[in-house]
Amino acid sequence: MQDAKLGGTPNFYRAFLLALFGTYIFFNLGPIFWIIISSLKSRADLFAMPPKWIFDIDSTGYESVFGVGAARGTASAYGVTDSLINSVIVSSSGTFLAVLLGTLGGYVCSRFDFRGKGDFLFFVLSTRMLPPVAVLVFYHLMFARLGLADTKTGLVIVAIFANVGLATWIMKGFFDGVPKQVEQIAVVSGYSRMYAFVYLVLPMVRGGIAATAGFCFIFAWNEFAFASILTTTQAKTLPVKISAASGATGIEWTQIMSAGVVLIIPVLIFFYLIRKHLLMGMTFGILGRS
Amino acid sequence: MAKVELKNLSVEFGAFKAVNNVNLTVNDGEFVVYLGPSGCGKTTTLRAVAGLQTATSGDILFDGQRINDQTASERNIAMVFQFVSLYPHLSIAENIVFPLKARGFKRAEIARKLDWVAEIFKLGDELKRFPGALPPGTKQKVALARAVVRDPAVLLLDEPLSAIDEQFREEMRWELGHLQRELGVTTIYVTHDQREAMSLADRIVLMNDSQIVQVDEPHNLFFNPNSIFSGQFIGSPSMNLMDLKPVSGGFRLGDSSIVLPEKIVPDVVRNSAIPVRMGVRPRDVKLVDEPPEFGIEVAVEDVFSVGRERYFSFRVGDEIAQGIDVRSTSTGQGRNVAIRPEGLVFFDSQTGNRIASKGTDV
Amino acid sequence: MTLTLNQTNKPLVPLKKKSSGRLMILGFLSPTLAILLFMVAYPIFSLIWNSVHQFSALNLNQEFKYVGLENYTYLLSDADLWQRFIFTGKFVFVCVSIQMIIGIFVGYRLQRSFRGRDLIFTLLMMPMMLSPVVVGFLWRYMLNSEWGIVNYLMSLVGLGQVNWLSQTTPALFAAAAADTWMWTPFIILLATAAFRGIPDTIYEAAEVDGASPAYVFFRVTLPMSAPVLFIALILRLIDSFKQYDLFFALTGGGPGSSTETVSFAVAKRAFNYFYTGEASALAVILLFIIIGLSMILVRHLNNMGEKN
Repeated sequence: MQDAKLGGTPNFYRAFLLALFGTYIFFNLGPIFWIIISSLKSRADLFAMPPKWIFDIDSTGYESVFGVGAARGTASAYGVTDSLINSVIVSSSGTFLAVLLGTLGGYVCSRFDFRGKGDFLFFVLSTRMLPPVAVLVFYHLMFARLGLADTKTGLVIVAIFANVGLATWIMKGFFDGVPKQVEQIAVVSGYSRMYAFVYLVLPMVRGGIAATAGFCFIFAWNEFAFASILTTTQAKTLPVKISAASGATGIEWTQIMSAGVVLIIPVLIFFYLIRKHLLMGMTFGILGRS
Repeated sequence: MAKVELKNLSVEFGAFKAVNNVNLTVNDGEFVVYLGPSGCGKTTTLRAVAGLQTATSGDILFDGQRINDQTASERNIAMVFQFVSLYPHLSIAENIVFPLKARGFKRAEIARKLDWVAEIFKLGDELKRFPGALPPGTKQKVALARAVVRDPAVLLLDEPLSAIDEQFREEMRWELGHLQRELGVTTIYVTHDQREAMSLADRIVLMNDSQIVQVDEPHNLFFNPNSIFSGQFIGSPSMNLMDLKPVSGGFRLGDSSIVLPEKIVPDVVRNSAIPVRMGVRPRDVKLVDEPPEFGIEVAVEDVFSVGRERYFSFRVGDEIAQGIDVRSTSTGQGRNVAIRPEGLVFFDSQTGNRIASKGTDV
Repeated sequence: MTLTLNQTNKPLVPLKKKSSGRLMILGFLSPTLAILLFMVAYPIFSLIWNSVHQFSALNLNQEFKYVGLENYTYLLSDADLWQRFIFTGKFVFVCVSIQMIIGIFVGYRLQRSFRGRDLIFTLLMMPMMLSPVVVGFLWRYMLNSEWGIVNYLMSLVGLGQVNWLSQTTPALFAAAAADTWMWTPFIILLATAAFRGIPDTIYEAAEVDGASPAYVFFRVTLPMSAPVLFIALILRLIDSFKQYDLFFALTGGGPGSSTETVSFAVAKRAFNYFYTGEASALAVILLFIIIGLSMILVRHLNNMGEKN
């Protein structure tokens, strides 16, 4: 279906808005470009003034991230592969479960009124309010006591916990945008509420689910603070290792930048996979022709 | 009030022609219905007139002026959509006056028009409520009120009643027709329901496969369909269709042993060389006791009721034909069936076009 | 050509009884409730318990003294701490307002398809995907007064050089810029999803009604997206109060302690000085502030939803 054409606005106004938009794109993408370039520079080139645009590519940063080449066996080598796999598993599982719980919770809070609903919702939101720095230690102790320290399961639980509040609230917002009529018509026609929920309502909030999944994956993936305190050797995830980089021998710029660039790739892949759902528009094809 | 003309209008999506070379004139104040099966191009044509769809080629004229390049907001049209078009965050009253506010009408004027429209549609009690709380029938009434409040030159409706219960549909149909006559606004209405078209339209534009098949008053469309498609699409229950094969003394119906007497069939058909398909509506096929002047003999297979009417069915070769049953009779062989010759329509089997018809009612 | 008398060709599933609604509620909510209670109960209670004691996590053998509200009074009488609150407040206000405005504006521009729209959209999401610590260091690198690119670009345009990270006010803006850079995509994503979720027919009806694009945006699009946008606001507000990583990487809290947010102050007390009881009390205070603000906003959100 063609997007509705919106009539014309004065050209000057339009040009101005376009310029603003362009400025933001520059602001947004500039530093990205810069971090990619910087990760490829040698230490010397990093501090060159005026900044070098053309330079010899130095892969020291990436080498130390992957623990290869010149950095093999050094103290600052990270050893990335197992971390990456761990991170992907933990993040994906956490995201999936958080989105699932959030969708269910958001739907129920959107459609039904029950005693304590407001309190429940606020409680769910409040889980996000705990400053991570304050509660880290407790989680460490708690998990140690339950035998969950250092395990992937423990991390997944943390990932879910950190995100389900966000997921519930965002999904509730999207469900609120779907008219209750949709389920009412279905129920009157003889379908069960469950059927209406799964086959009629869910497709309409695809955009919300995708957005929520995207956020949850990002937050889970970057679960810096929690993971670093909770785990010691086995279930270590990548973001953890980055913070280790800044401690010991002063700031290892190239390593941090390289690690940052490497870390962003799984997230990019994830977003690329869900892009169609993120940008879907609402078509009313369910009740008739679209 | 405006006259709408479509000249050689085509709308293409890539290789697909949704609307293929449509020519039509809608007169000022006329109620025209685009009728046809799903996907025939009727909605696309309507949206082209509205300005929500760009015409690939051809002209759209309002009162003789070509308006292809005008956006929807610039054309003086109003539209009622099939689903959800009320602004859910605004009250009924605010919904109705939205077009007035958007175009900068003065407050006094807005209040006046709101009262006028609320009066016509009897919406006085509902004005403060919100769309979410209303049944679909009332919602479409509001949509209609919003469309009419601006006094548009052309009123466009895209299957507005399809989401409404049968019960209310009849009532709304009547109100809609009455309203249109009162206001005298040029109206184009899209539907796939032929009963709706037949009851509302001054003229029906029957479309199929991106093209116009027939444009006619409902009466004429019913009695003088110009093609097999028209004949079959209009009328419920649908027209019986049978091939005619010339035999001595008459024509055999399809593969059956039923023979149609020669005198029923017009000369032009009798003398034609091309294969003929005959159409006759069930209402013109009656079960009688005595052999009629124009009739055939059949084996009645089934007798059933639809609403108030009783129907019977009989076999014509592989196909089943239907007729109406005046009083209760049971199934059986050798029954007499009267056929009203004025209700017969003859089509060319290959092209589907009409060859002949008497086309009058009793 | 036979008449079909029953037009429905959908399978008729028997209507479930009314209690299916109740079951749904319980079923859908209990897992969430269970996990959250499990994860929240212990820390909260521990936090409050710790806040009314004076002790150090480092020397667990030594005194674990009950001191009542002494920690709180001590904290609240610390003038420097009030500066921390003010600083945090400024930071939150600047960040959230700018991010909302830019986010909504960009979301508006991205809602209708244009060539390359999908690609641009995915690219714009990138800042959000970076690890917060990496972002902190990146901006530290870019804002360095000697070899940072920002000062270099400014000199090209004729603006003077700014010492971004070693003075309080520029540092505030630097952090705000970094936070905005990183989190505006969050708003953009939600805004775009919300705008795109409005049915096409509404836009078409508005166009037919003669509304200009600006009129449609302010009178239709924004009001209809209000719930989602408001939630975005609340979430961003809560998150920016907790901002720690950025300041850790950018300034380390300096000069002195002038660029410490309250969150940072909690961390410092907990992990640098190991005044665990005090840190817990400060954390509780911060929590109260966040809860208080959220309650106000949530109430407003509920009022918005009442109409529908």
